Amino acid sequence: MIPRRAQSLAALTGIVILAIAISPVAGDGSRVFLQLGNLTDILRQISLIGMIALAMTFVILTGGIDLSVGSILALATAVTAMVLTRVAPGMSYGPHILLAIAAAVAVAGITGVLNGAVVATLRIQPFIVTLASMIGVRGLAKWITRNENIDIGFGQDVAAQFATVFREKAIVIGAYACAAAMFWLMLARTVFGRHVRAIGDNEKAAQYAGLPIRRTKLWVYTISGLLSGVAGVLYAAENHQGNPNAGVAYELDAIAAVVIGGTPLSGGRGSISGTIVGSLIMGVLTNMLRLKNVDSNLEMMIKAVIIVLAVAVQRERESA
Amino acid sequence: MKLLQADDIHKHYGGAQALRGASLSVRGGEVHALVGENGAGKSTLARILAGSTRADSGRILIDEQPVTIATPRDAQRLGIGIIYQELDLFRHLTVAENLVTGSVELQGRRMDEFCRPFLDAVGLDCSPRRMVSTLSIGQMQLVAIARALSTNAQLILMDEPTSALFEDAAERLFALIAGLKRRGVAIVYVSHKMDEIFRLSDRVTVLRDGMTVGSVETARTRPASVIHMMIGRDLEAEQREPRTSGEVVLSVDRLSTAKLRGVSFHLRRGEVLGVAGLVGSGRSELGAALFGMDRVTGGAIHQSGTLGLVPEDRRYQGLMMQMSVAENGTLAVLPRMQTAGFVKRRRERREMERVGRQLGLHCRSLDDAVSTLSGGNQQKVLLARWLLANPDVLFLDDPARGIDVGAKEDIYRAIDRLARGGKGVILVSSELPELVRCCDRILVLCEGRVTAMFSAAEATQEKIMAAATNAGDAN
Repeated sequence: MIPRRAQSLAALTGIVILAIAISPVAGDGSRVFLQLGNLTDILRQISLIGMIALAMTFVILTGGIDLSVGSILALATAVTAMVLTRVAPGMSYGPHILLAIAAAVAVAGITGVLNGAVVATLRIQPFIVTLASMIGVRGLAKWITRNENIDIGFGQDVAAQFATVFREKAIVIGAYACAAAMFWLMLARTVFGRHVRAIGDNEKAAQYAGLPIRRTKLWVYTISGLLSGVAGVLYAAENHQGNPNAGVAYELDAIAAVVIGGTPLSGGRGSISGTIVGSLIMGVLTNMLRLKNVDSNLEMMIKAVIIVLAVAVQRERESA
Repeated sequence: MKLLQADDIHKHYGGAQALRGASLSVRGGEVHALVGENGAGKSTLARILAGSTRADSGRILIDEQPVTIATPRDAQRLGIGIIYQELDLFRHLTVAENLVTGSVELQGRRMDEFCRPFLDAVGLDCSPRRMVSTLSIGQMQLVAIARALSTNAQLILMDEPTSALFEDAAERLFALIAGLKRRGVAIVYVSHKMDEIFRLSDRVTVLRDGMTVGSVETARTRPASVIHMMIGRDLEAEQREPRTSGEVVLSVDRLSTAKLRGVSFHLRRGEVLGVAGLVGSGRSELGAALFGMDRVTGGAIHQSGTLGLVPEDRRYQGLMMQMSVAENGTLAVLPRMQTAGFVKRRRERREMERVGRQLGLHCRSLDDAVSTLSGGNQQKVLLARWLLANPDVLFLDDPARGIDVGAKEDIYRAIDRLARGGKGVILVSSELPELVRCCDRILVLCEGRVTAMFSAAEATQEKIMAAATNAGDAN
């Protein structure tokens, strides 16, 4: 029997080989897919949703779900851009940028706390709680921006400086890598990670064992909010704007990455490495199809098939 | 005239042999009690006859003709209906919709008309359009019986029908059973409550360890001899080193919850208190109440130490099946095995190995998923969790149920060691020899009340069984 983790890794390897095989050939005879620039492009493209997927893994491990991540990301892009362009014009660049990031991440974190508090104390299903906040937070983002994009210019002002720095590939990929390492450690090595898995595996037994169920759930949703906030900051830099309509359907891409990585929606079992592989599979697939100029609608259909196949393969192994 | 004859029925679930040559013979129009201890195979036999479980081997005759009952539909066609303990009704459908499930032609008033006679027959006085979820448990049971009648059942199996009923509802059920009998419907009444069996039944068939011990005319026997047939051999006296008990560590005063009615007892350090009672007697709910999981409606709990609970259902209430042996064992004590939030994995292994040795835990590796272990070893992992947590009082809910003999011995030894170490232990068990062997005193629960308290010296299986089944009321 192939371990679950190796399964998704095998799937990734297969897709990479396919991508190399069908890749267009550049003028110098090399495969475009394998060019360093292309490979780092893939990593950069998966970084934001990949980050959200890391936190989503924790949420799903507890048996929950967080649908509000895309809306929280949008709110964070809006807060970042507003603080940079409208708040404290006289401030020096360094502190101003830090303030903007802190504000955006804090607002996102608070939203996460609210999700967590409602899930943990009112015991309403996470799907419903975060569906509500997906709608409500999107409304909030649109309301504070009057439903307009807040542009971050290309000049020499603080906002432009922020964008220049934080859209660097190295920064974006570095942030994702750091987050991945932290989440891996958290799940594999800490008491918190144990509690997360235990609660998702058997909440009744966790209650009998005296585990801090409420506190753990509160943290899981808070972390999900925080990571969506960080992703929002990076999104604002990359796109040079605060955009209240950003991140639509990101929650679904993040959930897809988690389940392709072998974490079932029922919780209790799963891994951060699986989620990273899941994100990479989605990223390589998108890249491969775009290099071949495949219609983006067709791309969605192909992704749909891949998601179902990936999960079906894992189920089969389970029952065998 | 024999209505139903089942011979040499075998059935296993995984490694557990639930039935090994059970037989049952029911005459038309009689009330036939099917009795036995917990786990004797009564419910399994009933389910096989109703087609919801298939037997591994055996022969079933209806009206002297061999038949195959592979699905509930087969059973229905053969005139067999079943009333499950947990009532398999569709709670979000109406009474009438529950009765006609399967025949879609009936609608509106015609559906009501179809249902009326069956509802009248069971004496259920409510609109057929009422939602089942708004009925009481007793009324739901009547709906289930009406449904069985609507399929023309000549034989109705009732699996511990009074376990969820209050007394007045039970009385109505008994009257209904008498009525059904007059109409020529045979009833197989699965129960272990002596008073009901002697009141209702014409004949009794006793199951023990998956085999039929015998069938007798109810009028020609006594509760004591039926109990003797149920538990079989007499217990050979086990010698146990005497223990000395210390101060009171837990005292419970007139504790009441939804399932408990005025339970009082105390527990000393160094003492093992047994709790005997049938499933549904409130014995598991006692643990839930002590542990704060059930709402206490009256009385008080005084404890001078910490409490640990090993729940009855290790699969659903105890273990994280997908997590490893070590992770499960240390789950309750992680706060003391960490630095800055990181688990001290070396210390975790060391302590787990130590406790594992004490309990005779067998596993290839502490990293194996608990789901790959045998039942006995799973139970030991759960016990290890609480040995590590080291509470002053430990409530063990049927810890040796369904595990092999060797593992049982290991668990008994662990219990004795806990008591000698100054803990107070409460041991719930379905197996009377186990209680007599392990406990200093034995408290008997029946329907949420304490019906007896025996010292180890005076407890016999017959006395305990009599108190647990309220047999006193039957004489």
